[in-house]
Amino acid sequence: MTTSERASTGGSASQQPPVVELDNVEIVYDRHFLAVQGVSMEVQESDIVALLGPNGAGKSTVLKMISGIGRSERGEVTRGSVSYKGEDVTNYGANEMVDRGITHILEGRRVFEDLTVEENLRCGLYRDGRRFRFDVEDYRIAFEYFPQLEEILDLKAGYASGGQQQMLVVARALIHRPELLLLDEPSLGLAPKLVRDIFETLVEINREEDITMIIADQNAKRTLEIADYGYVMENGQVELHDPAAELMEREEIKEFYLGTSGDESRYRDIRHYKIRKRWT
Amino acid sequence: MVDVTTFLDITVSGIGLGALYALIAMGFALIYKVTGVLNFAQGQIAMIGAYGVVFLGTGAVLSSPLPAFAALAATIALGIVLGIALERIVFRQFIGEPVLSVIIVTLALGGIFSGFIAFLFGRNFRAYPPELTFGSRIDLVAGATIQTAFAIAVLLALVVVAALMLFFRYTVTGSILRAAATDEQAAMVLGVSIERTIALAWTISIAITAIGGILLAMSSDGAGFSIEATGIIIFAAVVFGGLDSIPGAFIGAIVVGLLQEYGSFYFEGGTAIVDVGPGFGEILPLLFLLVVIVVKPYGLFGTERIERL
Ligand SMILES: Nc1ncnc2c1ncn2[C@@H]1O[C@H](COP(=O)(O)OP(=O)(O)O)[C@@H](O)[C@H]1O
Ligand SMILES: [Mg+2]
Repeated sequence: MTTSERASTGGSASQQPPVVELDNVEIVYDRHFLAVQGVSMEVQESDIVALLGPNGAGKSTVLKMISGIGRSERGEVTRGSVSYKGEDVTNYGANEMVDRGITHILEGRRVFEDLTVEENLRCGLYRDGRRFRFDVEDYRIAFEYFPQLEEILDLKAGYASGGQQQMLVVARALIHRPELLLLDEPSLGLAPKLVRDIFETLVEINREEDITMIIADQNAKRTLEIADYGYVMENGQVELHDPAAELMEREEIKEFYLGTSGDESRYRDIRHYKIRKRWT
Repeated sequence: MVDVTTFLDITVSGIGLGALYALIAMGFALIYKVTGVLNFAQGQIAMIGAYGVVFLGTGAVLSSPLPAFAALAATIALGIVLGIALERIVFRQFIGEPVLSVIIVTLALGGIFSGFIAFLFGRNFRAYPPELTFGSRIDLVAGATIQTAFAIAVLLALVVVAALMLFFRYTVTGSILRAAATDEQAAMVLGVSIERTIALAWTISIAITAIGGILLAMSSDGAGFSIEATGIIIFAAVVFGGLDSIPGAFIGAIVVGLLQEYGSFYFEGGTAIVDVGPGFGEILPLLFLLVVIVVKPYGLFGTERIERL
């Protein structure tokens, strides 16, 4: 099955339940700040799913409630449900989701600055609060995809370049051997060449290691290029969703590409376009 | 006036005293680094260790005390048990609560401990069993000598410090502790249990602080309420070292130990070059604390955020 076929089959046609399923989810911070509303989403096994939208749209919030880390920020799913491989995991904590094979790469390249690159990698060896494996083989997967890291093992991570730090957080997550990888803004603040490299590596990882991915990013073009399916969020809601190839062909998305990608006003245009379309 | 042998003597005992303070200072820095809590009960926890040997190894309370070395070993073991117990019974209840409430809890605990010790032993100096006091001196280079009990205490302190450094540097658990201290959320999404990390930090901290107290008492032949004041003195060391740096706390402790020894020898009593007055040895580290706070508020090794453009 090719990726596009797989994506176009959707959830109903496949035998096993989707890896992640959000059903009409509402997410509230601090008991009364409504961040996400009525979001439904499906992520099929082995897919790369793009989560697009301007700053503040709710992309990170969705990822945080899937990985459970949102609970530590007083986030709560107040309506609807989140399931992982058919199991209801609504409002589960981060430790429970880590145990189920979800690794979340948080926004902003959160390396442990005063630890060396190697010590950072070591931290990928934990699960359930305990070390779950530890031998050279576990590091090999990191160096296979990011050979550069092997040369800076003793460098303090805080002194690594932005690109190296991005490689490090992905490598650290890989050592963790996830089944589902959540990436929040992996391209943020990186030079175009680096973004291309990182995204190419992500596709390789997705194929070779069979890791399902959700990538939230403002670089819609690059993300859709590698994705099977895409969701566009705005103001805490899903505005559009389609297989990535189709999404790229949509007028409103094309229009979005005309400007510099990542420009927020362009996203607002999508909405205007939709409204226009409804009236004509 | 300043005779070289004496100066060496004092330098050696200053470094030794610093190594003893280092255990208590590192216990303090570890907790601050991992939980953000300033533990103001350090002096009292050290004192519990110090009086533990009096309790188990002398006839002060028990009618049939343990042999001296058994009492010493048992008290060290009890220091570890105290760490586990305090974490379970007290500090675990406060995970997720504001840091300020925990700081106030440490103040309360300090008061309770010190009252409890005063109740059991009075506020007087209590000599250690004679086997632990030796009374002999060991010759060092250039005619300098050092008290045997003091030398043993310092050696033990250095062993604990080295073990701790190796633990942080070379074990996965050590890396995890430091990682969780730098970025709790990033550690959590990697499967690190914050509860377990905090429990481990408290246990290690309280254990080394109690051991520090035991060795501090051993170096001066017995336990006294003066150990309570180390809770304040090590504050100078830790602030100098940068509050959240464990190697910094060690170096700060050595500096404070030296200052205190120089202060009490050269600026106080019959040996003074300039006699400032009694107790100046203990005041000097605190004057130093003030200077550090004014001149270098983040200390020598405090976390400087690495900014990248
Ligand atoms: N921890 C939090 N507490 C309260 N509000 C939050 C928190 N995180 C995000 N928000 C709010 O939720 C909304 C969605 O934010 P976010 O999910 O970060 O968007 P995106 O990742 O698409 O930029 C924003 O209005 C943001 O201010
Ligand atoms: Mg975001």
